[in-house]
Amino acid sequence: MLRITHHWANWIASTALSGWLQNEAWVVPTSQSIHIVSVSVVFCCAVMIDLRLLGLSASGRSVSQLVDTLVPWMYRALVVLLLTGLVQTVAEPVRQFVAPVFWWKMLLIIGVLALTVCFARAVRRNAAKWDTPTRPAGAKWFALISLGLWAGIIFCGRFIGYTWELYL
Amino acid sequence: MSMPGFLLAAEHTPVAAAMRGELGWEWLFPIVETLHVISLAMVFGSIVMVDLRLAGATSRNSAVSRLSGEVLPYTWGAFICAVVTGALLFVSKAHVYFFNLQFQLKFLCMFLAGVNMAVFHFGAYRQVLVWDERHPPPRAARLAGALSIALWIGVIFFGRWIGFTT
Repeated sequence: MLRITHHWANWIASTALSGWLQNEAWVVPTSQSIHIVSVSVVFCCAVMIDLRLLGLSASGRSVSQLVDTLVPWMYRALVVLLLTGLVQTVAEPVRQFVAPVFWWKMLLIIGVLALTVCFARAVRRNAAKWDTPTRPAGAKWFALISLGLWAGIIFCGRFIGYTWELYL
Repeated sequence: MSMPGFLLAAEHTPVAAAMRGELGWEWLFPIVETLHVISLAMVFGSIVMVDLRLAGATSRNSAVSRLSGEVLPYTWGAFICAVVTGALLFVSKAHVYFFNLQFQLKFLCMFLAGVNMAVFHFGAYRQVLVWDERHPPPRAARLAGALSIALWIGVIFFGRWIGFTT
């Protein structure tokens, strides 16, 4: 499996676009910084919603209000994360593709996205049910899994840099 | 003790040695660094939430004081975690980081962000209940919000840049 991804990585690395992105020294650091800014937006929104669902944060806005305000920002930031992620991957494809944690990260992202979309839909469909102190049974599980997945994604993302050379 | 002496002393502690990966602690630095990223994500995300409101750009149906009261506990808690993890990262190569330009610029941005927050907090914010729900917010609030976002983005950019220059 890793041999196939290694082959594709080498092909991308041979393209003119990849060459240009690598040679302009400012591109990858800038893209990574924008990536971190966007991570902050997504993670902060997720934490605020999840801690509310777990009953660990002070009252203020209701769950449905938080979801209505924050989830759109999460989606916008996720678009930026995808774009900057593409830039970084096209610039340094081997680094990403040979590292198993990169593929784990992609899987976790798909997972947490699916969960978040389902959750947001459920809240929008029946806000009153989610705004009462006794929330639906799955609320606390969603919150814990969501927090774990987002933190796991951040760990995987950072560990790409620390592990990829082991797989060359 | 001189500054370089203090830095070298910090580097010679067992904690610093562990952070450098010595004696089998290879994964400590990446783990602490990731916790630093998670902390800064909360610091930045929460600050930007209040700053965008101050700039009049978002959450216009939330009073400034209420939003700020809701969000600031996250900011301070996360900032403490960022400082602790940051200090651990720092001691691993204290003298290298201390004299690194990007490291210095990062702390300059943070210092200016703090000054900006203090000026706003003891200035326009003291009358917040007057303009809490006014649209647009007063100029001082919009300026403080915009400056704060710019400076904290600077902290992130220079922070990331440290990794490329040390």
